[in-house]
Amino acid sequence: MQQQQQGGGGSEMVVTWDDQQNINKFGRLNNRFHELEEEIKIAKETNDNLEDASNELILTDEEVVRFQIGEIFAHVPKEEVEDRIERMKQTTSKNLEQLEEEKESVLSQMAELKKILYGKFKDSINLEED
Amino acid sequence: MASSSSTPTTERRGIPGAQFVEDVQSYLSQSGLDVNSALAFLQERLQQYKLVEMKLLAQQRDLQAKIPDIEKCLDVVATLQAKKGTGEELFADFEVSEGIYSRARIEDSDSVCLWLGANVMLEYSCEEASLLLQKNLENATASLEVLVADLQFLRDQVTITQVTIARVYNWDVHQRRIRHAAAASTAIDS
Repeated sequence: MQQQQQGGGGSEMVVTWDDQQNINKFGRLNNRFHELEEEIKIAKETNDNLEDASNELILTDEEVVRFQIGEIFAHVPKEEVEDRIERMKQTTSKNLEQLEEEKESVLSQMAELKKILYGKFKDSINLEED
Repeated sequence: MASSSSTPTTERRGIPGAQFVEDVQSYLSQSGLDVNSALAFLQERLQQYKLVEMKLLAQQRDLQAKIPDIEKCLDVVATLQAKKGTGEELFADFEVSEGIYSRARIEDSDSVCLWLGANVMLEYSCEEASLLLQKNLENATASLEVLVADLQFLRDQVTITQVTIARVYNWDVHQRRIRHAAAASTAIDS
């Protein structure tokens, strides 16, 4: 997880508490960024699954659908299943939107910090992914 | 993101805070350590932090698995409660064993049994079960928040320690260069 390294060819590097806090913040943002990527991937998969499910529903001519609630498959009438899936799709879409927004915010904050830190430390600091 | 503090925190829930070094020279003279001992101490601290991080990450994974489970249980209880008024039976297919499913006919019932862990299962009314599960969900979510904050604090201390190690090392290299240059010029002079 060591993504930043301080290179420095033996120069006297002055690091203030503010600098340290910026480095810390960058580290935290970077971690959050990776977590968000994971969560976005899962949310997209869930969205796709729900899409597939509602397509299947349209095709089927059965009146009663086995809908998974918890660990069991309950026999639920088709309309109710359609409603449930609609609601689940809306929740997931909204969640996905929020995640994407947060990702954008995190990325722009990281870009800002990169400018500040590279500005002060130039070659002595490495903020790229290895 | 947590706001930056004006001074470093000394510790958080048993995790020692990493001391921020303003100036390497004074840090070394104050602690009375030579460069190698200081580096060894900092490396050991880093290892300790890594161990705690492993533990916290494992706890986080457990909680993150527990929360959807509780939500599923709440879903089932809600479904049973919804069916209660209608007098209809609920048919459900459930897994008896891997790959083998059976059908259950669940009649109108006022109560459910909840698995509390440690081989204990208790019967509750649907409302009580719902309340209990809701409380468990809130507790789990709150614990997760605290855990995430702990991990953030820990990662900050790891970063501070890594930066300090780099600075002490660079200071040492810098000092050696100065001494070497001074020795070289004295040799030329004499």
